[in-house]
Amino acid sequence: MTDALRVTGLTKAFGDKRAVDGLDLTVRPGELYALLGPNGAGKTTTLRMVAGLLAPTSGEISVFGIDAIRDPSAAKQVIAWAPDEPMLYDRLNPMEYLEFVAGLWGVDGKTARARAEELLRWLDLWEQRGQRCEGFSRGMKQKTALAAALIHEPRLLMLDEPLTGLDAAMARQVKDVLQQKVAAGATVILTTHILEVAERMADRIGIIQGGKLKAEGSLEDLQAMAGGGRRTLEDLFLQLTGERVDL
Amino acid sequence: MSLLRPGSVTWLLAHEIRIGWREMSTQKGRLITLIALSVLFVILAGVGFPIGLAVRGQDLTPAPAVHLAFDLGLALLFTLMLSQTLAAAAQALYARADLDLLFSSPLPPRTVLTVRFAGIALGASSLYLVLLAGILIPIALMGTPQWLGALGVVASLGLLASAVGLLLTTVLFRLLGARRTRTVAQVLAAVIGASLFLLSQSGQFLGDDNRRFSDMMADLFSGDAQVTLPPLADLPLRAIMGEPLPLISMMAGALLIFVAVNQLLGRRFARDAASALGVESSGRKPGRVTGAFAHGVFAATLRKELRLLTRDIALLSQVLLRLLYLLPLAFILLRNASEGHNLLLPGGAAAVSVMAGQLASSLVWITVSAEDAPDLLVASPAPFSTINRAKLWAALIPTALMLAIPLGLLTFIAPWTGLVATAGAAASAASAGMIGLWHQRPGNRADFRRKGQVHWLVSVAILLIGGLIGVATFLAAWMQALAIIPAIFAAVFTLAMRKSDTAILKTLRERA
Repeated sequence: MTDALRVTGLTKAFGDKRAVDGLDLTVRPGELYALLGPNGAGKTTTLRMVAGLLAPTSGEISVFGIDAIRDPSAAKQVIAWAPDEPMLYDRLNPMEYLEFVAGLWGVDGKTARARAEELLRWLDLWEQRGQRCEGFSRGMKQKTALAAALIHEPRLLMLDEPLTGLDAAMARQVKDVLQQKVAAGATVILTTHILEVAERMADRIGIIQGGKLKAEGSLEDLQAMAGGGRRTLEDLFLQLTGERVDL
Repeated sequence: MSLLRPGSVTWLLAHEIRIGWREMSTQKGRLITLIALSVLFVILAGVGFPIGLAVRGQDLTPAPAVHLAFDLGLALLFTLMLSQTLAAAAQALYARADLDLLFSSPLPPRTVLTVRFAGIALGASSLYLVLLAGILIPIALMGTPQWLGALGVVASLGLLASAVGLLLTTVLFRLLGARRTRTVAQVLAAVIGASLFLLSQSGQFLGDDNRRFSDMMADLFSGDAQVTLPPLADLPLRAIMGEPLPLISMMAGALLIFVAVNQLLGRRFARDAASALGVESSGRKPGRVTGAFAHGVFAATLRKELRLLTRDIALLSQVLLRLLYLLPLAFILLRNASEGHNLLLPGGAAAVSVMAGQLASSLVWITVSAEDAPDLLVASPAPFSTINRAKLWAALIPTALMLAIPLGLLTFIAPWTGLVATAGAAASAASAGMIGLWHQRPGNRADFRRKGQVHWLVSVAILLIGGLIGVATFLAAWMQALAIIPAIFAAVFTLAMRKSDTAILKTLRERA
């Protein structure tokens, strides 16, 4: 089966600094993959390259078999990218925003209208569909951006810190949506600093540091890699990345 | 104890001044402003010395007409200051995001408000004080120090304008709510500023009635007219000339009003500001919900851009004000059209075409460069060229709508000139729009006023090409075949500015 995402030797250098350094990464279709790493590890840079927002210095990116560097438009057609800061227009309301995003992905008007209604109801934004985004809370903005990411029914959904700043109820709602999407066959890659989320939701976890993949696998795989025992992802993460916790 | 002890009024005022200064422009822009101000100061000082020599030791007794002229001048200055304080009050009280921080600090709210109000007053009068000081210091050095009283008068006007501006802004808030207050105050401020300009240009378009007004003013100053001053009308000039009682009364009066407004609004404002910062949208009625969705990249992008343009009233008003400033020109054009003045008519047509280019350039900067979610567009599979085309149209459609009425009127009165002006305007707008598109740079809508993101070479190119199209329009409206030459040059220069989509994307990525 074709991998949802295959990244080979991916490198991104900013001057002398290599934010991503020869990264190899594979994400299978229909899995929820958590990309973890300390700040500045290269997680967002990697996802931005996959989304076509940054040109890699070298390396290859394949999305469902499509060469994302040679044919970015075809790759983007099946990808959705939701950054940590929602990309919204303050002066548009959620319906108008979704209409615009659907237009960008070439979803026909009638289908887009129906999907927008479904998504907004699903994410409890239907009552706010006519209000401009400028007055929205962080959580509502995040949910609107998620609805926009889902409007073209992407096969690969990439989310950068999707739960940052959300209250418990909203975070739960977003997690439910992601799990339902995975159950429906979509592939989800998310970055998060909330390790419990990755521990509970992810099929596989990749730990990246200094632009390189340090470890990858299911929680059990990582536990085995770290010498066995039922340790939490937090312990494993700190051990594998060599991060120290001084109290 | 240091004047700048953290937490003190002076410390907070210094912070306000620093923030105001930094918000004014980029570092480079601030340096240029500082240099320009210094040069102006020196020039004004140069003007001040001969005046100082001329008035030294003179016992001046101004005629009543001179008193009236000064009153009028001060009234105009007050209006100008009011326009500034309105915009500043709306910004400082309801838009600056630091009030949460300040109010959550242990600083007394009264200190915060006093400083903010003082900052507004200072902002309104500081430029005039600096420029006036340039003239007055040499005059004082030459032996007439009492004229420094003018600085006190200008400072009083600043305090008064701030008090009125604050009161108006608060009333607007009560009537309209926070968001609309900001918009209305900004628009009002701009309109007041533009009105002053229009007043100064009234001679260009008011015709005979205005000539009588000019004659009347000339009579006043030649001493031909008998003038009876209303009570207290002589107070400002006497204060300017340093008479202690008028000067102290003006300053004390203004200070009293300022402090009273400060006291009156203090508590109310804390409540309003909290409302503006916290639940700004809660009282807002839901907007219209889209019915059928647009289909396709072009339609969706065009619809989105037009929506954003029409919803940012403050921004649109800034664009429209450029039209307002050109009203005298339109009046001249139409007057000459109706009177059959052959040469002035083509001149007006040329000016309209240049104006169209400037308008399109502003709008295309908003739709293209000031994109709020550039990553979203890049992350989508939508063709870059289609998005750009939609954004260009989104800039050209409002330009066409804004110019439709004057051009329609012109075509009705003088068909050939009207048609040529329409063609010139279309060419100029299209050229400026395309250049804006080819040389786009990511920017922020808030930067519109200074358009700091546009390279100066691009601005020069747009002006140059607009000028060439203007010349071509002028000649064509004058029925001269030579019009083809500047038109060809304009086309060649426009094409020389062309960049491929790949090159534009490359530039954007390099800047990202």
